[in-house]
Amino acid sequence: MKSYLAFLKKELLEYSRTFKLWILIVVFLLLGLMNPLTAKFTPELFENFMPEGMTITIAETTILDCWMQFFKNVPQLGIIVLIIMFSGIMANELSRQTLVIMLTKGMPRLTVILAKFTTAGLLWTVCYWLSFAVTLLYGEVFWTDTTVSNLGVAVFVVWVFGLLLISALILGGVLFRNYYGSLLLTGTVVVVMFLINIPRQIARFSPIRLVSVNMELLSGTITASDIYRPLAVTVVLLLAFLGLSIIVFNKKKI
Amino acid sequence: MNILKIDHLAKRFGSNEILKDVSLNVPEHSIYGFIGQNGSGKTTTMKIILGLLSKDRGNITVCGEEAKYGQTKTNRFIGYLPDVPEYYNYMNPREYLQLCGQITGMDQKKIAAGTKELLSLVGLEQAAKKRIGGFSRGMKQRLGIAQALLNQPRLLICDEPTSALDPVGRKEILDILNTVKDKTTVLFSTHILSDVERICDHIAILNDGTIAINGALNEIKEKHGTDSLQIEFEMEGDCGQFERLYQTHFGVVTEKIDSRTICIQALEIEKTQSEVLGILYQNKLMPLAVQRKKPTLENVFLEVVK
Repeated sequence: MKSYLAFLKKELLEYSRTFKLWILIVVFLLLGLMNPLTAKFTPELFENFMPEGMTITIAETTILDCWMQFFKNVPQLGIIVLIIMFSGIMANELSRQTLVIMLTKGMPRLTVILAKFTTAGLLWTVCYWLSFAVTLLYGEVFWTDTTVSNLGVAVFVVWVFGLLLISALILGGVLFRNYYGSLLLTGTVVVVMFLINIPRQIARFSPIRLVSVNMELLSGTITASDIYRPLAVTVVLLLAFLGLSIIVFNKKKI
Repeated sequence: MNILKIDHLAKRFGSNEILKDVSLNVPEHSIYGFIGQNGSGKTTTMKIILGLLSKDRGNITVCGEEAKYGQTKTNRFIGYLPDVPEYYNYMNPREYLQLCGQITGMDQKKIAAGTKELLSLVGLEQAAKKRIGGFSRGMKQRLGIAQALLNQPRLLICDEPTSALDPVGRKEILDILNTVKDKTTVLFSTHILSDVERICDHIAILNDGTIAINGALNEIKEKHGTDSLQIEFEMEGDCGQFERLYQTHFGVVTEKIDSRTICIQALEIEKTQSEVLGILYQNKLMPLAVQRKKPTLENVFLEVVK
């Protein structure tokens, strides 16, 4: 436990001193801010840039437009930034051999994986919920009617999806010891999830649903219970990736 | 007592059998020189001891406990300095030692005291608050010794600690190793023989995947190296004449160091010396110098790896 906490502290210091922490916070703050702003002001922009004499009627924007921006931006742009920032999560240490001294001091290899997952997960949590909080706050400011259904569930499942990708990055790094390995494995995982999202029979299990049906949850077209299956699959996958990372890393030449 | 015991260790990388049969014992409080050419398997052996690499055959015990791959329990007895130590560049030495101490489960008081003492031992007090990223190789090597000694290991393993350093850096590292030998046992690998002669009391020479020689350094020198006699002349002609005379008299092949200097390997140095002086006297050959040479580690090493 002592070594776990020590390594956790080291990871946090690393993210802070290599500016990754601050970059992530800025990006997610910006994303959070953009959602309500674009939702609110896009119609006005359209009107201003229309050629003289042309009129189009744009329906009054609602809070749903704001959340649509959120579920478009964060699971796409936000997660891409997340993946890039964490792509070196294992590769950095394995290729630069910085773990050699740590491990020869008797630190269990399991600790490395767990501490790395915890820190990356913590950063993702802070950034993601920060982004959410900003969107929520400005939503309240710009719109009077802000009731939507299932908001908690819709937001929560995106967070879980982010954690799954972090575990995939770790497994990729452990398997291939470089950035490309992490990116390749994570990319493959996402592609496979997209593929199983197409046939109807298995689509209802695909973790991709966690980041693709959020608006349907909000509008009430589907209910929260419809997301439980893919959520369960995601959690199982996440644990499997972590377990596999630990097993592989225990056998790894350093 | 033996701190480290290796029995019949073997390791193969693909078709390359790098360690065939390595056995050695490192006695407590020795400075043990682990000598071998580049690529002879010194680092591989050390990594197996540390559980960083798996072995194909054989047995390793550290302080009486078996060392196992992946499970690094015996590493609590060991301090390790890799050949090119890599650190977290964004930390300073104090923070790094703090991390090392916490990982090994030391309490805060001990870490603080150890950090202070070791930074002064390795001469890094001035740089204690500077980022490691800006350190020279020598400084990184010294920090490496500090981190390896932090939890007062019974065995300090250094992988070629001096190879990449300039003469000043090398001397500093050797001096530090010499100072710590009362507190711990040092096993260090190298191919720089002068370093070994300077501080080691025991050696093992690794050649062709096996230990060619091991034991106490002076015993090895006595047993394996022969004394020699070196005779230097002023004129090349004298040198040639002496060479012919000596060879016809005793049938022993002499070795020419240069055009005016001859070297004779001697099993019984005094007998050889009297023979040489006899020939010189009888033939009125006056040498510039006649010198007895003690065997060097270099002779032993070259003989072994031939």
